[in-house]
Amino acid sequence: MENQTKEVKWLCDKCQEALVLEKVKVRYLEGNFEVELLKCPTCKMVFISDDLAMGKMLEVEKGLEDK
Amino acid sequence: MDLDAMLEISNQCIHSEPPVCVASCPVHMDILGLVSAIEQKDFAKAYKVMESKVPFARLVGKICDHPCEKSCVRQSIGGSIRINELEKLVVALGYVPPKKAFPLPKNKGKVAIIGGGLSGCVAALELDKKGYAVTIFEKSTRLGGSLWGYEGKGLEKEILEEELSIILQKGIKVQYQTEVLSTDLEEYFKTYDAIYLGSAKWNQELNVDSQTFQVEKSPLFVGGKLQVKNSSIIHSLSSGKRAAVSIDRFISKTSMLASREREGVFQTKLDFKIDKVATLQSVEKSATVYSEDEACLEASRCLKCQCNECFNACVHMQRFNVTPDSYIRSINHNERIILGTHHANKMINACTQCGLCKEVCPVDIGMKEIIHATRESMVLKGKMPPSAHDFALKDMQFSHSDYFSLVRKQPSKEASKELFYYPVIAFSAYARGLYKGSGKTGYLFYPGCQLSATHTDYIGEIYKHLVGVIKNKDADNDVGLYLGCCGAPADWAGRLDLMPQSVAKIQQTWQEMGEPTFILACSSCTATFEKYLPMIKTISLWEVFDTYGLPEVDIKKGKRELCIHDACATRHNEKLHENIRSIAKTLGYTIQELEFSKEKAKCCGYGGLVAYANPEQACDFVKDRRQESENDVLVYCAMCKDMLVKGEKRAYHILDLIYGNEQNPNTLQKMPTLSERQNNRKRLKQTLLKEIWKEEETMDTDTQYDFTLHLPEQIVALMEKRFILASDVQKVIDNALKTKERFYNPKTSDYLARLRIQNVTYWVKYEEEGLNITVKDVYSHRMEVVEN
Repeated sequence: MENQTKEVKWLCDKCQEALVLEKVKVRYLEGNFEVELLKCPTCKMVFISDDLAMGKMLEVEKGLEDK
Repeated sequence: MDLDAMLEISNQCIHSEPPVCVASCPVHMDILGLVSAIEQKDFAKAYKVMESKVPFARLVGKICDHPCEKSCVRQSIGGSIRINELEKLVVALGYVPPKKAFPLPKNKGKVAIIGGGLSGCVAALELDKKGYAVTIFEKSTRLGGSLWGYEGKGLEKEILEEELSIILQKGIKVQYQTEVLSTDLEEYFKTYDAIYLGSAKWNQELNVDSQTFQVEKSPLFVGGKLQVKNSSIIHSLSSGKRAAVSIDRFISKTSMLASREREGVFQTKLDFKIDKVATLQSVEKSATVYSEDEACLEASRCLKCQCNECFNACVHMQRFNVTPDSYIRSINHNERIILGTHHANKMINACTQCGLCKEVCPVDIGMKEIIHATRESMVLKGKMPPSAHDFALKDMQFSHSDYFSLVRKQPSKEASKELFYYPVIAFSAYARGLYKGSGKTGYLFYPGCQLSATHTDYIGEIYKHLVGVIKNKDADNDVGLYLGCCGAPADWAGRLDLMPQSVAKIQQTWQEMGEPTFILACSSCTATFEKYLPMIKTISLWEVFDTYGLPEVDIKKGKRELCIHDACATRHNEKLHENIRSIAKTLGYTIQELEFSKEKAKCCGYGGLVAYANPEQACDFVKDRRQESENDVLVYCAMCKDMLVKGEKRAYHILDLIYGNEQNPNTLQKMPTLSERQNNRKRLKQTLLKEIWKEEETMDTDTQYDFTLHLPEQIVALMEKRFILASDVQKVIDNALKTKERFYNPKTSDYLARLRIQNVTYWVKYEEEGLNITVKDVYSHRMEVVEN
């Protein structure tokens, strides 16, 4: 999930803050993980790119669904 | 679900049943393996195949009497495969001298072999391999017995001697010039744990068990000519092998009979059909033996007899490379594992449950019911992947909701008064039908959710036509209308929790309306009603059209030929098949019957919700159907049309023909998007209420937004692929505009917003120009991201 950092710099529109890489909790079915994702340091909104959602995340979702 | 009963079904599958040549070979040589290796010109491999079942293969390969050839399925269509000639070449080119084996300790027991002919030598070798100390007693001065009769007639002396010397190389003792008589046996029994009698002649009648070759319960076993009672080389060899198995079991005190039912020649359950096989003559040899090329050509004539009826008919089985035997074993494993990955989930959710496998199966095995029960079990155990059917089930809930669901009696005479004046009453059968209104709903037109979504504008017309033609002949019975979903998606998804709700709602409506006959226009509805609502009398819309008359729109002779793609859900409904064909002919079309039609209809790929759970698999079904005919396709199921058109095959719903909407072949056919389908259902309800029942919709059907959404073509395509609705995109943007919860890219000026709706987070990248929103990307994930 690290390659998100290479993306064009997005800002949090509400807080006008640059995003920072931080540990974020994600969960699906029986799975709970902590991953480093870009988020707004103020409002904590987490950024997920198309590549991440339709790539690695989808793969993990499918993996968990078949557990 | 009863997994043991399911496994029993898998045992009935004859996919792995041997071909008749193998079954008629007393040692069951893998003839398919042999010819395949020859086709690849891998003669060493071919020799290995022979050697694995045939001791002294180098000799036997040249003189075997080949009962396989007499039973070959090719016999009547060009001549049996010449295994005899092929084996000769395999021996010549593929023989590899055996590697010197490490001698095993011979401590399992002592066995005497009487007679050093072929069967005795075979029994000796087999028992030696199993760890017995073997001694051969041969009355002459050499081993081989009747094999020497072939010297110069197929076998050379040197090779015979070389092969028979294996016995001595193995360390098997041989006592030459020792004749054993029946009177000597008692003495031998004192020294040996068992005796194999392989002599051609014996001075005593013996009572030999035909299964075990044992003489009563004694340690005496009989093989060779004495037992097989003919001069067949391969039967004699087989008897030596089988007697060795018996002797081993006898000495080690294990069951003499267990798992031996198919030893020797047996009847295979495989009945390979040759009605579609072209004649191909045997390859003649140009010299004394086949050349490599000739052998290769002859081997390629082999039909490789195997039952693949279902596999050949089903792209699903092809995609996963399974037949019912292996398929069921995978399901069994998938159902039984507690920890670990359920590898078969994907496969189970890629079956369209169309039932074709059972139609083509010679032993009546079908995967439909098994898949259905398995999906129900997966749902009950919480092991059904939520993403597989989520969208379809949400779409079903939409159809169940007030956005679409509607039940109305025929408009009353009272309410229709303004129609009962000239000229309307004179020219409109519908108006006359209303005029004859009885107040008793005898029929309820139930178009179903998918037809309503994709062929929306026909529904009102059909309804009016039905009122006109039915009331004309059957004045007592009014025609009502019922918009809803039969629940087929829940059934396909194995949702035992949702199915009863759908069914109960329909049953209740039926009772409230005075138990009318349902007029069904969808094959999936028909199947669902048959399965879950047998108390409701139904008639297909096509039967009504065919018997009561068609709308007089486009009936003229000499139209073109179309091929019919029957709906798999109604594969057994002969009447319906006839009705459709009759309607098409009445309209002036010629029908091309496909190989897989009527009861053998192939699924379009929508069945079993495969279009949602595994779009690639659904695509295989369309491709398979598409290549069957050059002609455009006539269908009578809305989803079949949808799938075929999306697969770039021109397809017409029978309603398109009835209402004269067969488009110019040069125009591109297009089906409504997932969002448009839902909107169409909403619109249909509103339009029908307004135009037929003169009611204005009171509920708030459309959320109004301040912004205007622009969805470029490629975004619409992406939304279809990713199962994202325009209404979801609107919700994301609405939320972003209101809360400013969104990201901004200063370089491109794009916004990126997200919103979790139920169990899915939707992301929309968009450009904002005043109130105009142009979408640039959409995606979603089911994983929940904790934002704090």
